[in-house]
Amino acid sequence: MPKILIPTPLRQFAGKNDSVEVAGATVGEALAALTTAHPDLKKNLYNDEGKLRSFVNVYMNDEDIRFLEKEKTAVGSNDTISIVPSIAGGR
Amino acid sequence: MITVERQPWDVMVEHAQKTYPNECCGAMLGSIDGEVKNVRLALPLENAYEGAQRERYELRPEDLLFAEREARKNGMDLIGIFHSHPDCDAYFSKTDLENSCPWYSFIVLSIQQGKFHHANSWLPNMEQTEAAKEELTHPNA
Repeated sequence: MPKILIPTPLRQFAGKNDSVEVAGATVGEALAALTTAHPDLKKNLYNDEGKLRSFVNVYMNDEDIRFLEKEKTAVGSNDTISIVPSIAGGR
Repeated sequence: MITVERQPWDVMVEHAQKTYPNECCGAMLGSIDGEVKNVRLALPLENAYEGAQRERYELRPEDLLFAEREARKNGMDLIGIFHSHPDCDAYFSKTDLENSCPWYSFIVLSIQQGKFHHANSWLPNMEQTEAAKEELTHPNA
């Protein structure tokens, strides 16, 4: 099963796990399985319209899924999904 | 509450002064014990903003992925982000807020005339509409 790495601040919503193995053939299915198993994660990752929040990037291994097939990107049992924030700013 | 140890603090200040008059940025690694965060390692990262870096910074997600991996490798956690405000105060601007992530502490270092002046830590909310000031302790406080 693919593994999803959980960023430190979100582990409190994921049973204190630093990674979770989930079922799913695509990144979207894997993330859906994650938020079904750990519902408190959902509001951290998705907005009220069910879209990934603007500050959430998802990587499959070393690739940003926006440059693959987004949430339809296929995942295999040896793949690792990372949740990476998008951060910028200025005075 | 967030505390920055001497070694990472020196790295953060040096990075901010070295990149002056541009804004700098980086990641803070350490540990969290309840409400208390302790920064033990600072990773200076490249400001990837393609315009005027005197007024803006941008972190590459790949660099944050690297920081997250470094944290796991060293038995630490990625707990915050730092950046500098050249020749202005260490407030959390509208631009900072709108491009923030509520999972982390954001330390802003005010660099005045090339030298460290003061710093504040901020905790943005989920909607990116406001940020609360977080108690910060550091060696120059």
